[in-house]
Amino acid sequence: MKNVLLAAAAVLALGAPAFAQENVRIATEGAYAPWNFLNDAGEPAGFEIDLGNAICEKAGLTCEWILNDWDSMIPNMLAGNYDMLMAGMSITEERQQTIDFTQNYFPPDPSKFVAAPGANFDFANLQGARIGVQSGTIQAAYAEANLAEGNTIVSFATADQNMADLMAGNIDTILADGAYLEPIVTAANGAIEFVGEDVLIGGGVGAGLRKEDTELKAKLDEAITALKADGTVDKLIGQWFEGQGPFFTE
Amino acid sequence: MQAFFDDLALMAPAVMFNISFAAASIPLGFVLAVFLALGKASSNPIINRLSRGYIYAFRGSPLFIQFFMFYSLALSLNVTVWKPMGWSGFVLHPLFMGPFVLVLNTAAYTAEIFYGALRAVPRGAIEAARAYGMSRSQQFRRVIWPNLIRLAWPAYTNEVVFLFHATAIVYFALPVIGGQRELMSTAQNLFETDYNAFLHFPVAALYFLAVSLVIFFIFGLIYQRLMRHLPSPPRLRYIPKWLR
Amino acid sequence: MFDDIAFWVSYLTNGKHLTWYASFQFTIIAALLGGALAVIFGLTGATLKNSRFWPLRMIGTVYSAIVRGVPDVLFFLFFPLAFEQGVEWFVASQVCTPEMIAAQSAPWPPCKEANWFLGTPEYLILASVSLGLVYGAFATNVIHGAMRSVPAGQLEAARAYGMSESQVLWRVHIRQMWVYALPGLSNVWMLIIKATSLLSLLQIADIVLWADRLGAPNFLPTVGLVHDDWRWRYYLVLFVFYILVTWLSERAFDAITRRVGRGILSEAHG
Repeated sequence: MKNVLLAAAAVLALGAPAFAQENVRIATEGAYAPWNFLNDAGEPAGFEIDLGNAICEKAGLTCEWILNDWDSMIPNMLAGNYDMLMAGMSITEERQQTIDFTQNYFPPDPSKFVAAPGANFDFANLQGARIGVQSGTIQAAYAEANLAEGNTIVSFATADQNMADLMAGNIDTILADGAYLEPIVTAANGAIEFVGEDVLIGGGVGAGLRKEDTELKAKLDEAITALKADGTVDKLIGQWFEGQGPFFTE
Repeated sequence: MQAFFDDLALMAPAVMFNISFAAASIPLGFVLAVFLALGKASSNPIINRLSRGYIYAFRGSPLFIQFFMFYSLALSLNVTVWKPMGWSGFVLHPLFMGPFVLVLNTAAYTAEIFYGALRAVPRGAIEAARAYGMSRSQQFRRVIWPNLIRLAWPAYTNEVVFLFHATAIVYFALPVIGGQRELMSTAQNLFETDYNAFLHFPVAALYFLAVSLVIFFIFGLIYQRLMRHLPSPPRLRYIPKWLR
Repeated sequence: MFDDIAFWVSYLTNGKHLTWYASFQFTIIAALLGGALAVIFGLTGATLKNSRFWPLRMIGTVYSAIVRGVPDVLFFLFFPLAFEQGVEWFVASQVCTPEMIAAQSAPWPPCKEANWFLGTPEYLILASVSLGLVYGAFATNVIHGAMRSVPAGQLEAARAYGMSESQVLWRVHIRQMWVYALPGLSNVWMLIIKATSLLSLLQIADIVLWADRLGAPNFLPTVGLVHDDWRWRYYLVLFVFYILVTWLSERAFDAITRRVGRGILSEAHG
């Protein structure tokens, strides 16, 4: 029995290269517009979906999008439920201990505070504020380490919930990615504004992979390099993030 | 083995949240349930309908949805209602919102249990009380209530254990403030850091099991005290017959 | 006025909403499959509890005691993970060669070839099995009690007719047991329906997840309709949906009880 199974596995292993196109499952959160969200058709859309599809095309991969909560994104990839993740995830040393990242496809982005106009806080030296973060993000880790004393850290499962609580006045300020906040601050028409100083954390956004998938990582890195060089990445950044970039071409 | 003891220590503060949630909601839910059960038995059509509707709605829908619904509802009232009253941070705090929804939920289940017991109170006992010329409140305090609580106790014990288990989903639906997490969300959090399902979940399960047994034990003692007039007091079984 | 109606109709029938409506299937499948499995596990558990062989009796008792001593959500999260790792461990023992294991750098699974992908269908089945296991413990008690409620005379009569023990069990005992088990099973079914609200915890894009995504405030016109936080409205719909399902189930169980109980219940309570 064991031998039969082994033989079958061997056939599968030998047969695999015959399929030029590999099927790759990409996880995303679908609640982080304009990075990734669910459009009116109910399908994943946004900057990372466009970019991910472009990368897959360049690398000759067939890609499939899978929705997964932000919190369990890394464990579920390690469990093998999908092969990579593109979810606005910043490259950090801590995450690199468990997973690998491709090169970044969005440069290091300052984290920013937003608050309703007239919020009466000394944002350079926050005290007594209720600070909203999305749990499991670099901002959550930063707030935990640097702002926990004298403030209340409120963590939410999604960025949308965080924003809803800010708009309803349940929290005083949000610390989040600048590139995520900017379109919202612009669209909110003065309902919220940037406050305080930028916080420089994170090493840019890249796609996450399991450590052992070195082959896939090489393919993706190659594709991203090519897409950066031919201006596709910058074009998509310009399309989804008004006024950002170009970062990777002159 | 060391990891097991580490987990036990890590989850010890978390179990206090479950216990506090349950401890805060049980007495309030109990009182509300008595009124709801009387309301359901009331002959006043408005009170009767309202109590029935309330019990039906809260028993007929999942607690998980109730948490989401009441949190987002309270959030949408924040600017117009809670803020002007100065209650903003309080109402939306999971330490308030959690027990609040648990009270609403457990009151419905408990009321149904009490209502069932109320209908099972022997007619003859009530008629005898009336024949003695007791007033309605006397009838309730001296005859109906003692009968009712004895009949309802085993099922109520079950409900309390269920309520304790229900505290496990509080932080799946509500935001986490500071490091305040209950048992289940702590286990989930630990699992997400090192992916060791076979350590963290069983440890959490042990805590739940242990506290459940303590609840059964305490409520069993109370039951024996309630039944002390009988020559051989019936013992509360670990698995009572009634279901939630 | 008409514009308003047209707008809301088109909004409520856009792809995102249609996906939401379609996701009710996951809830319904999980409930039906979980319910069927709960009855199967309940029958097994009750048989074990009735067994003359004490280790089997112990298994039945311990099963129903342990599962009921921990919250359903814990079991719901733990069981799929444990099952997945169990399957991967088994596959690994069949498939992995020492070279493959050496090539694997991740802590789990032992070799890449043993990995088992879990998508929505797999999670849905695993979720239903966990529902079945958890509420099977409740069904065990219900069925165990119902088996004992079948009048002994019925079984004696069946034996007197010369039926074998298995014939007595299947043709008389279990067939009559349903009548006494139905009220309890109806309670178990209501619990299962309510537990299906937890599907989103297993990364199934179910009604709760879509209610959150649809209701979440949106500021960007490129994303869709710009609106504030509408979540409570969507949750209210789910709240009402579950109450309706409960009501319909009650009706159905009443009808079944009346039909099945013809000629039996009146005798028993006579």
